[in-house]
Amino acid sequence: MEKLKDAFDFSDFSKAERICFYIFTVFLFVFPWLGVGSFVKTVMIQFMLFSLFGMGWNTIGGYGGQVELGKAQYVGIGAYTVALMMVWWKVPFWISMPVGVLIALGYSFIIGYPLFRLKGHYFAIATICTSLVLKDIFDNWNLVGAAKGIELPIHEHPDFLYMQFKSDTYYYYFIMALFYIAIFYMNWFRKSKLGFQLRMIKDDEDAAESLGIDIRWCKIKAYSIASAFVAVGGGFMTVYNLYIDPASVMELSLSIKIALMAMLGGAASMWGPIIGAAFLVPLDRFLGSWLGGHKGLSGIDFMIYAMLIMVVSAYQPRGIWGIIEQFRKKGK
Amino acid sequence: MAFLEVKNLTKNFSGLVANNNVSFEIEKGEIVGLIGPNGAGKTTLFNCIVGYYRPNSGKIIFNGKDITGFKAYQTSREGIGRTFQIMKVTTGLTVLENVMVGAFSWTDKRDEARSYALDILEFLGLSDIKQYHINELPIARQRKVGLARTLATKPKLLMLDEVASGLNPTETEEMVGLLKILNAEKGMTIFLIEHIMEMVMSVSKKVLVLDSGIKIAEGPPEEIVKKPEVIKAYLGEKYAKGH
Repeated sequence: MEKLKDAFDFSDFSKAERICFYIFTVFLFVFPWLGVGSFVKTVMIQFMLFSLFGMGWNTIGGYGGQVELGKAQYVGIGAYTVALMMVWWKVPFWISMPVGVLIALGYSFIIGYPLFRLKGHYFAIATICTSLVLKDIFDNWNLVGAAKGIELPIHEHPDFLYMQFKSDTYYYYFIMALFYIAIFYMNWFRKSKLGFQLRMIKDDEDAAESLGIDIRWCKIKAYSIASAFVAVGGGFMTVYNLYIDPASVMELSLSIKIALMAMLGGAASMWGPIIGAAFLVPLDRFLGSWLGGHKGLSGIDFMIYAMLIMVVSAYQPRGIWGIIEQFRKKGK
Repeated sequence: MAFLEVKNLTKNFSGLVANNNVSFEIEKGEIVGLIGPNGAGKTTLFNCIVGYYRPNSGKIIFNGKDITGFKAYQTSREGIGRTFQIMKVTTGLTVLENVMVGAFSWTDKRDEARSYALDILEFLGLSDIKQYHINELPIARQRKVGLARTLATKPKLLMLDEVASGLNPTETEEMVGLLKILNAEKGMTIFLIEHIMEMVMSVSKKVLVLDSGIKIAEGPPEEIVKKPEVIKAYLGEKYAKGH
């Protein structure tokens, strides 16, 4: 009960923040009815999806301060579980998605246990490696479609059980529901014991340990929560795109984008990942469609991301949210 | 049975012996000082007891339980609280949140942790700075925050690593008063490393002297300062002969 109260209690935010949040909520609700084109709607769905990823990453990467660059493997696990269970056994989305989350959780414990023996840069590199290995396996594994990927059977009629709809609006509201569940969860998480302990670990590991915190176990727990988050998003990607391959759900660039969005918006803050996604998703779509048309320019978006990472970490490590807070402090 | 018992503890770092066959006992309710020149192995001894280092040989028994080789978070759960010589200057958690993390070691409820943390801050006279970050505080206050968050874990044995270094005489006196209250009213056993002789003399009933990793003396402070080997360790051969 108390946990629920914490999740819905935004009273410790400033009034301005709360008003922005309410207006934003209303805006999201009416957005599909504003007569926008399907492209804009797709961007909006992507925005909420990546906010979900970013919020998940924020548990371990933001509050826990661990540079985690391997979230794509859990997107892949979530996506593939949904796709394979649907293709092989016709299992509805509402069963396969939780199963995907459970598999992601289990896998994250197995991977997390040795991974968190490492610290700093070594940890970051190791997370990239585990993700790349899994992608390579799926790229060559014929049983799961290898590099060709999996196409989902398209149902003739809209089917709620399998999450197949004719209109994007349904997907829009579904991802919006997930997006808000994530927000409420994070609102609880940042006030929870684990949230406090992670922030202490980020501040000073030795001191954290002297206060009775089992550092490694705390990190593994946060890592698993983050993995569960992105696995949900992965499941959504499957039913939304009706087609997945390792290149779309397990690519390294996806991991980097997830981390970058949260870092750009402001790691270890409630709104950071959302702000970051609001900036980067449109930019990503724009760059993708603009540069994709020109031969030889398709890699430039990554150079722009790299530059963004450098600028953020040099100028304001706490991201856009850090800049906002700085201005607020000056105002006082 | 002693509260904390260290038996033949040896710790070396690839050949460099930091603690050599150190044994001592601390009774419940005592205040014990640990002194010695720079590099004598005082902090290493602390780290071995608390669990940051694993001793090469020897035994550590706390409260009737063998805690040799325990990790730092485990010894904390057994009831050993320690502070650090150097506080890491951080910008993440506020003072109140720091102390709350200490209280989270025995409770899962945020409100409970919060009210206990507020009590501790009140007790240490830190209530006015609870919303500050550690990097915004002068060193004396930083030390006290370190003490506060350790106290919040409800330790039975408090191990303080140079809690008075960098403090001015008034602040030192205040700290001495505080430790005496903790010892007398809360029944806390205190084991402290200290450089400032006046502080050790005024607060502790028993003093251990460490030199080059070896325990060279043990006893009441007024006797300890007269022992030639202690004077030698601190001031050099020449002064010891003069005595």
